[in-house]
This record gives sequence, structure tokens and C-alpha cells, in this order.
Amino acid sequence: MTTPEARTAGIVSRGAAGIVDVLVVLVALAALYVGWVFLRLAFSPRAFAFPAPSVVFSTFGFLVTATLYLAVCWAVSGCTVGAVLTGVRVVGRTSGRLTPATAVLRALACVAFPIGLAWVAVDRRRRSVQDILLGTRVVYNRARATPAPNSLPT
Amino acid sequence: MTGRRRCPRGYDAVVTDPSALLRHPIVTATVGAGALAVDSASAAYRGVTRLPVVGAQLDRGVTALTRRGEQVLHHGADPVRALITAVAVQIVDEVLAALDLTALVRDRVDIDAVVSDVDIDAIIARIDLVGLANQIIDGVDLPSIIRESTTTVTADVMTDVRAQGERADDMVSGLFDRMLGRGGRAE
Repeated sequence: MTTPEARTAGIVSRGAAGIVDVLVVLVALAALYVGWVFLRLAFSPRAFAFPAPSVVFSTFGFLVTATLYLAVCWAVSGCTVGAVLTGVRVVGRTSGRLTPATAVLRALACVAFPIGLAWVAVDRRRRSVQDILLGTRVVYNRARATPAPNSLPT
Repeated sequence: MTGRRRCPRGYDAVVTDPSALLRHPIVTATVGAGALAVDSASAAYRGVTRLPVVGAQLDRGVTALTRRGEQVLHHGADPVRALITAVAVQIVDEVLAALDLTALVRDRVDIDAVVSDVDIDAIIARIDLVGLANQIIDGVDLPSIIRESTTTVTADVMTDVRAQGERADDMVSGLFDRMLGRGGRAE
């Protein structure tokens, strides 16, 4: 059960947060790439050439970075950058912060099966596939600013 | 009636014209009598001073009196001047204390006319406007104001975005509820 201050977030807020998080991971990857370029330039300036990572390497790096980013953010505060912007927060079964193991498992599940987020729109309790598997929830991280239309007392 | 007609240049006419007052027969006759008396006294004094014994004594006496008078005037002028100055200052202070100068200036002085003659451009040219502006800016915590306003605007934007997202969530949920034939949401 949820209190009015902890309504479960819907697909739009969570989707927007996910898009922002993808952008954050891409920026982090770009920063890692630039840092790697400067390191190579510093240690071997004569033999320097821009590294050209393969698609597989880049994809793997993206998945690893995204998993680390999501797991750390959820374990530390329950909020990623996208979640802060859209005002949502990931909580555990007791509406508290996720345990590190749950955070890592949820991050792996989200990175491996991102389409599971779409179940939020279908599920009556606004749960994604990952939420159903791990017993987590994504709630609005604020008092309700506006009364939601067609909302039932919770 | 007749007396008034015999005096075509009446007192009022004389008083209102100072130059005519000096030419009045009474004045001229009085001045003439005075001048005659002075001339007579001078002639008498010169005649007495020419007498054998009395003349020399009189001349010495007059000379001694003149010297004494000069000494008195020389030594007595400063205390008298100081006394007069002190009295004058006291009188001016008393007068100023009795006067409401503000009301006096307000009633008697055309302040608009005075101000209209002031060269504002010259005054502004003498002011260091850049320095004055810097002093004002130094006195105002501008970074704090900018920070607060920016924070307020950002917070308002974020609140609006989140509220819009929440409404969109509810709209999508309602849409799926109707599509799936559900009566309502069970979060």
C-alpha cells in the first residue's frame, strides 16, 4: 500500500528518467573515451592515433557503465540523475532504500531487459517486470503537487 | 483749505524726494547757520591763537588734547570693536533663534527659480558615477540575488515538469485502464 506522498510513478515519468539516464551514461562513456585518448597521447605521443573501439567493445562498455551507474545510484540514494529530474525514487519492499544486492540485480535486469519497463503501462500497480521480480517500486519523490485526475484514494 | 494751497510742496512731497529735501529752505538755512558758526569759531580760534601769551598756551593745550584723543582712540578702538562684535553676534543669534528659517525660506524664496538656475550637468560631471555605481554594487549582494532567483526559477521549472509528468502518467494509466476494461487503477 502506498501513502499519498509515495504514489507509484507511471510510464511517462519513468521513461523520461530512463532516457535521461541513457544520456548520462553516454556522456560518461564519452568522458572515458576522451580520458583514454589523453592518456595515450601523454604516454606515447609519437605513436598516437585516435582509438577506434569496436561496436562490441563499445556496447559492452555501455552496458557495464550503465549497470554500475544504476546500481550505485539506487544503492546510495535510490535516485539516478533522471530520477532526480523527474522526481521519482526507487524503493524496496518496505519503502526504504534498496540493498546493494537488490540494486545490482535490478540494474542488471534493467540493462539486460529494458523493455520490461513497458509493463508499467499495463500493470495495474504500475510495476515493471524488474519490479515484479525483485519486489521494488518506483514512487514519486515528493508530496503531491497537483491532484491527479481519476486517481483513487490509496 | 487755504493753508494747504499755500504749501504746494508739502511734507509728503519733500519726504518722498530726498534730493528735494536737501534743497528745502529750512535745511539750507540751517546748514548755512551751522557753516557760519563753524567759520566764526575757526576765525575766533585763529584770532585767539595769534594772541601773545594766550595763543601759545591754547595751541599747546589743543595739541595735547589732540594727542590724548588719538591715544584713546588708538587703544580704545579694539575693545570697543570686540564689544560691538560680541553684541552684534548675540543679537544675530537671538534673531535667528526666534525665526523659523525653514518656513521663512519656504514662504519667501522661490525655490523653483533657484533650482532652475542650477547647472545639473556640471554637478553630474563632478560626480564619479562609475565609482558610485561600484560602491552601490559592492553594497548589494548581487551574487546572492542571482543565485536565489536562479534557484527559484529552476525549482519552479522542475516542479512544473514533475507535475506534468505525473499528469501524463495518470493519463496513460487511464487510457490503458479503458483499453483493458479496468475500472480503475490499483497502485
